[in-house]
Amino acid sequence: MIEINGIGRRFNTRDGGSFEALKDVNFSVNDKEFFSIIGPSGCGKTTLLKMVAGLVKPTAGSIEVDGTPVVGPGDDRAMVFQSFVLLPWADVLTNVGFGLELRGRSRKESREAAAPFLERVGLTRFSEHYPHELSGGMQQRVGLARALAVGPDILLMDEPFGALDAQTRQLMQEDLMRLWDQEQKTVIFVTHSMDEAAYLSDRVLVMDTHPGRVREILDVPIPRPRDESVRRESVFTELTAHMWHELRGMMGDPTAPAPE
Amino acid sequence: MSPQAEGAVGNEAAVAEVAAPGGGASPWTPWVFRIGSVGLVLLIWELYGRAQETTLFFVPFSSVVGALWDLAGTSEFWNAFGQTFIPFIWGWLLSLAVGILLGLLIGRFRTFDALTKPYVTFLNALPVSTLVPIAVILFGIGYASRILVVFLFGVVEVTLNTAAGVRYVSRDLVEMGESFNAKQTRLFRKVILPASLPGIMAGIRIGTGRAVVGMVVVEILLVAVGMGRLILRYRGRFQSAELYAVVLALIIFGILLQVIARRFEHRVSRWKYEMEKVA
Repeated sequence: MIEINGIGRRFNTRDGGSFEALKDVNFSVNDKEFFSIIGPSGCGKTTLLKMVAGLVKPTAGSIEVDGTPVVGPGDDRAMVFQSFVLLPWADVLTNVGFGLELRGRSRKESREAAAPFLERVGLTRFSEHYPHELSGGMQQRVGLARALAVGPDILLMDEPFGALDAQTRQLMQEDLMRLWDQEQKTVIFVTHSMDEAAYLSDRVLVMDTHPGRVREILDVPIPRPRDESVRRESVFTELTAHMWHELRGMMGDPTAPAPE
Repeated sequence: MSPQAEGAVGNEAAVAEVAAPGGGASPWTPWVFRIGSVGLVLLIWELYGRAQETTLFFVPFSSVVGALWDLAGTSEFWNAFGQTFIPFIWGWLLSLAVGILLGLLIGRFRTFDALTKPYVTFLNALPVSTLVPIAVILFGIGYASRILVVFLFGVVEVTLNTAAGVRYVSRDLVEMGESFNAKQTRLFRKVILPASLPGIMAGIRIGTGRAVVGMVVVEILLVAVGMGRLILRYRGRFQSAELYAVVLALIIFGILLQVIARRFEHRVSRWKYEMEKVA
C-alpha cells in the first residue's frame, strides 16, 4: 500500500517569494490497484508522481510504501516516461535491459533477462533496432518493457501515452490493460485524458489546481476484464462527463458552471 | 530493414528524403561542388603563377607539387617532419587526456567549474601564441616547450567542448537513470558519459586542428626546427616553390588528421546524426 500523507511542495521563485505547487495531498493506493491521477496542466500531478518515485522531495508531509518512508528511488518502483527516454545509442534489447544494468547487472545478463519482456510487448523481432527506427508507440512499448523488466511492485506512469496519436494511444491502452491483467502490479498512472483514466483505472484521483490538491477520488464501477465496448456504456460516459464537468470548472472556462 | 509494424518502421524512403535536403540530390553532389571549388582555385593559381615573370614570389601550383615531390624524396624533409611530429604527438595526446578529464569534471561539478573558470576563460580569451615566448623562456627550445605549446593550443577546445557535452546531457536521461535507482558512479558511466561522447568527439576534432596550428606556430615564432625551419629557410632564399611545398605538406597533414578525427567522431556519435535525420 502506498500512503500519501499531507504532501506539500513549495518552490522558491526568482523574485524571492515562493509558490505552492502542492498542498496537503492525502490519499492511499492499494496493492494491485490501477490508480489514475487526472488534473489540469500545472496541477502538480507529475510532481506528485515523481515524489512517489523518490525523484522529488516533498517540502511537507511524507510518502510511505508498505509502511517504509520513501527517501529516494527504490528497487520496488519503476517509472515510464511521457517522452519514452530511451538511450538513442543502444538497441532495443539493451534499452529494455537497461534498468537492470543500472542496478548492477552486466549488459549481457541484462539483455538476456530483457528478452521475455520484449516478447511480452510484442517487439522481439525489433530487438536489434535502434529507438529512432521505431514509431512512438513502439518506443513506449520499449519504455514499458524496461520498467517491467526490473520486476517492480509499483509501476509509475507519467502520461505515458500523451505523446502518441489517438489511434496508437487506444491500442496502447488495450495492451497495457492486458499486461496489467497478467502482471497484477500496483500502477499509478498520470494522465490528462479522462477517457483513458476511466477506461484503465480502478479509481481516479481528480486534482484541483493553484495549489495542486485533491478534489475528489472517483471509483470506476466497471467490471474487469474490460474491452473496447465499455466506452459506450452509460456508467463510462457518465463518469467521463462528470470528470469533464469538474476539470472544466478548474480551467477557467467562463461558460462552465461555477465549481461548488 | 526488417518487416514493419504499425506501418511506421523502416520508412527508408522518407529517411532518405530528409537526409538529402535540396531535393533529389545524390550523396555525391556535395563532392562535385567541393572538388569543383578547389579545382577552380587551383586552376586560377596555376594560370596566375604561369603569368608571373619571376618565380621569386609566386609560382604555379604544378611547380609546388613538383617541389613537394622532390622534397619527399629527401631525408632532410622526413627528418624535419619527424622533429615536428614527435613533440606534436605528445602535446596533442596530452591535450586530449587533460582536456577530456578537465571537461568531465567541469561539466559534472559546479564547484570545479567555478574553480577552473578563470583559467579557462583566460586561456580562451588569449591568443595562445603570446605564451610561446614564455614557454621558451621557461623550458628552453627543446621538446618540452614545444610539447607545452601544442598542448596549450589544443587543450582549451577539448576542455570546453567536453564540458558542454556533459552539461547538455538530457535532463530526462539522467532522471530516467535515477528513477531506476542507479548509483552515481554507474549513472555517470552508463548514461552521462555515453551521452556526452558527441561533445567529447567534437572537442577532439577541434582541439586537433588547434594543436596542428600550435605545432607550426612555435617553430616559426621561436624555435627554428623541423618544418618551421624549412619554411624559414626557403623564405630566406626566395625558394617559393619549396616554401609552398612545405606549407602544402602541413596542410595535407592537418587535413588528414581532421578526416580521421571526423571519421572517429561520426562513428561514435552516429546515433546523434541518425536522430537528427529523423527528427
